[in-house]
Amino acid sequence: MRVIADLQLCQGHGMCEDTAPEVFRVVESEDGSYPHVEIVQPEPDAGLEEKVEEAVRACPNRALSLE
Amino acid sequence: MTDQPRPKIVSGAKPEIGHYEEFMEHAAHFLYRAYLECGELAEFDLYGAKHVLLASPDAQEAVYRAGEDEVSASAPYQYMVPVFGEGIQYGAPLEIERQQVRFMSDALKPKRMKTYAQMIAQEVEDYIADWGDQGVKEFHDTFKELVLRTSTHCLMGAEFRRRLTDEFGVLFEQLEDAISPEAVVNFKSEAEAFAKRDEARARLQEMLMQAVEERMAWKGEPPTDMLQSFLEARYKDGTGLAPELIPGMIVWIMFGGFHTSSNTAAWACLELARHPEYQQEVIKEVDSVYGHGEDLSFTALREMPVTEGFVNETLRLHPPLCTLMRQVVNQPFEYKGNVFEVGTNLVISPYVSHRLPEHFPDPERFDPHRPQPEHLFALIPFGGGKRKCVGNAFAFLQVKSILTALLSRYELSLVDPPETYREVMPSLILRPSHPCNLRYTRRQR
Repeated sequence: MRVIADLQLCQGHGMCEDTAPEVFRVVESEDGSYPHVEIVQPEPDAGLEEKVEEAVRACPNRALSLE
Repeated sequence: MTDQPRPKIVSGAKPEIGHYEEFMEHAAHFLYRAYLECGELAEFDLYGAKHVLLASPDAQEAVYRAGEDEVSASAPYQYMVPVFGEGIQYGAPLEIERQQVRFMSDALKPKRMKTYAQMIAQEVEDYIADWGDQGVKEFHDTFKELVLRTSTHCLMGAEFRRRLTDEFGVLFEQLEDAISPEAVVNFKSEAEAFAKRDEARARLQEMLMQAVEERMAWKGEPPTDMLQSFLEARYKDGTGLAPELIPGMIVWIMFGGFHTSSNTAAWACLELARHPEYQQEVIKEVDSVYGHGEDLSFTALREMPVTEGFVNETLRLHPPLCTLMRQVVNQPFEYKGNVFEVGTNLVISPYVSHRLPEHFPDPERFDPHRPQPEHLFALIPFGGGKRKCVGNAFAFLQVKSILTALLSRYELSLVDPPETYREVMPSLILRPSHPCNLRYTRRQR
């Protein structure tokens, strides 16, 4: 499992971080506009799959995908 | 070049005014006709201003992914500046406006949402507490009143909400007259609506500023609401919002969330009443998660796939905002070989996009089981890209709370013949025709 973020769609709402903080972190942007996601574990540890899938679904902007 | 592709021009333009009359009459229906006649790209004219409707997910994606230095949201929406105020949104430089939107998103973080969920739940429960065993209500006005209460509670806190009078709603309506289609073209005219708008805006400033000042003088632990977020917000250089700009921020976020949410709740109830079989499915889900002593606020934050599918389909057929504009700036914008000159208004219409048969087979049929389209830019009730509606999740929370509370107690049915419920556009928002009367009957459990 590999997690990919489309930063053109991300607005940093943080639903992913709220759901699976082991994998996603929301960081401030340099220009002070929307924060954005940083994928801490692009290939999540075994056992996190379900949480990560839930986080991907929870994104209101469909900015996250799995491959 | 002779073989350069060009958009087809929509028929029916009149001298001088172009397609203005038909656009004013019903923008959504006009744009849909434009698509049927011209296909993916349809050019039309509003008083000499060139507009091109882009009606395909690819074209929508191209616009939503383009930079602000290519297509500007600020340019076509300058008529909002007198509504929100100078220094706010498109009355501020781009880099300031982008940070102001971040202030809003900070106020809508998951942790905050849990607080709002409690405020909304309380308002919804109180609102329907005295509805009795059955009755008939005009659901458009009903939800307007309810959403005004929930929004002001989440935005301005409990004290402001307690003091909320009819005046606030009336003032808001006067402000909205300024975004009627008329205003889009006649910006800065001396018309009565505009004078009223400025008066209403000044009075709102006074009311909201009082709340801002009271909050600034607050002793002890302040409440968690958007007003507090705005007071604590910081630009990247460390400075905060000037207090006198906070009323404008509140008016802005209210504009984005008030009628859009209340209309969606009304449309959802109308579709529930039209489709008793789907209503039973939603009721089943509501019963499985609510009504056994859980908090409504906790329930509304859970995943409710059936209810969410129902709301998604409501938003597909009845997107509250039918016309989203961008203007080509700096250099011509190119899409599939078509070249749009600087100054061209690019129009994206969720109403049209949601009826493209390649992505939504049998588009006029209400089907809450429809799968999400593959293309990320096909279903766009909240827009897309960096300017997508920041209140997306909040809107869902609000509508889910209303539907859950309502359906745990009542079933809904139509009062008038089905064909009398139509979609109308007295402003730029698509709404059910008046009266949208529905009957509610207490469920036998």
